[in-house]
Amino acid sequence: MEDNIRRYVDDLFSEATPTRKAVELKEEMIQNLNDKYRDLVSGGKTNEAAYNITIAGIGDISSLLAELEKDMENNRQTRQDTDASRQKSAMLTALAVMMYILCVLPLIVLNFIGFSFASQIGVPLMFIMIAGATGLLVYNSMTKSNSANNSDTMVEEFREWQSDDRDRKALRKAVSSALWSIILALYFIISFTTFAWHITWIIFIIGAVIESLINVLFTVKKRR
Amino acid sequence: MSIASDLIRGHTDTIILARLIDSDNYGYEINKSIQQRTDGRYELKEATLYTAFRRLEQAGCISSYWGDEQTGARRRYYKITDTGRSTYSTLLTDWKAAKEMIDKLIETEDR
Repeated sequence: MEDNIRRYVDDLFSEATPTRKAVELKEEMIQNLNDKYRDLVSGGKTNEAAYNITIAGIGDISSLLAELEKDMENNRQTRQDTDASRQKSAMLTALAVMMYILCVLPLIVLNFIGFSFASQIGVPLMFIMIAGATGLLVYNSMTKSNSANNSDTMVEEFREWQSDDRDRKALRKAVSSALWSIILALYFIISFTTFAWHITWIIFIIGAVIESLINVLFTVKKRR
Repeated sequence: MSIASDLIRGHTDTIILARLIDSDNYGYEINKSIQQRTDGRYELKEATLYTAFRRLEQAGCISSYWGDEQTGARRRYYKITDTGRSTYSTLLTDWKAAKEMIDKLIETEDR
């Protein structure tokens, strides 16, 4: 008979989307109905009668299920919003990277065409572009929303469980990208002021060392 | 009976909160104690019970957790929150005031 109760409730929920809330509600109902059924049987009812009384006591759960569906629709809406913000964030990052790559272009072009104030114009332009790109990256990481947290299906539950780790990785990436922008800027500043191009490349090696140190720091923190 | 049920239905939230004031409890036990207190004359439908749980939980009046029974399946327990306690006392005061007024309004002198 307890199998019958489970089957009956399964049937009631057959139309419902199996979100975490719906599955939990179903299990809760089956659990409570079984308790009631067992109580009735030990109170002297026949199995048949106890089953019928138990099932009759359920009532109409359709509006309850409709509310659950509505919850899910709302969640889907927020998820779509998150997707949109993810797209925006990807676009900003791409734009920043493009600016980094193109930042030396004015200088090169001006030099190439033999413009007399090439470095007076080219170098400031380059720094403006680096500053702009770094600003974009910082803005992007600061406005990144973590609103995917009110998830509901069990798959999302799992994702949420993973997201702690993801947050840490995101922070590390942000630190790393900021570090390399600074290193690149420093390289050009020092090179153009000292004209010691033969030695300034060492800055990149120093940068790599700093990055490894940061990685070590992150690993140590994670262990704790 | 069915008319009395309609009258009681408006107070489902108060009834459930009252059952949780003393201790955390799960669906069937709550319904059983409602049944016992009314000598089997009143009992909530499962649908009404879970709709009320959901509503109360969304309003922050109760919270729920899964118990860890050693034997058998796990049960979902409900716990009243501080918000729930103050909501309960408001509802109780409201009801007492309404009851007093209704008594005065619908009873006639020559009983």
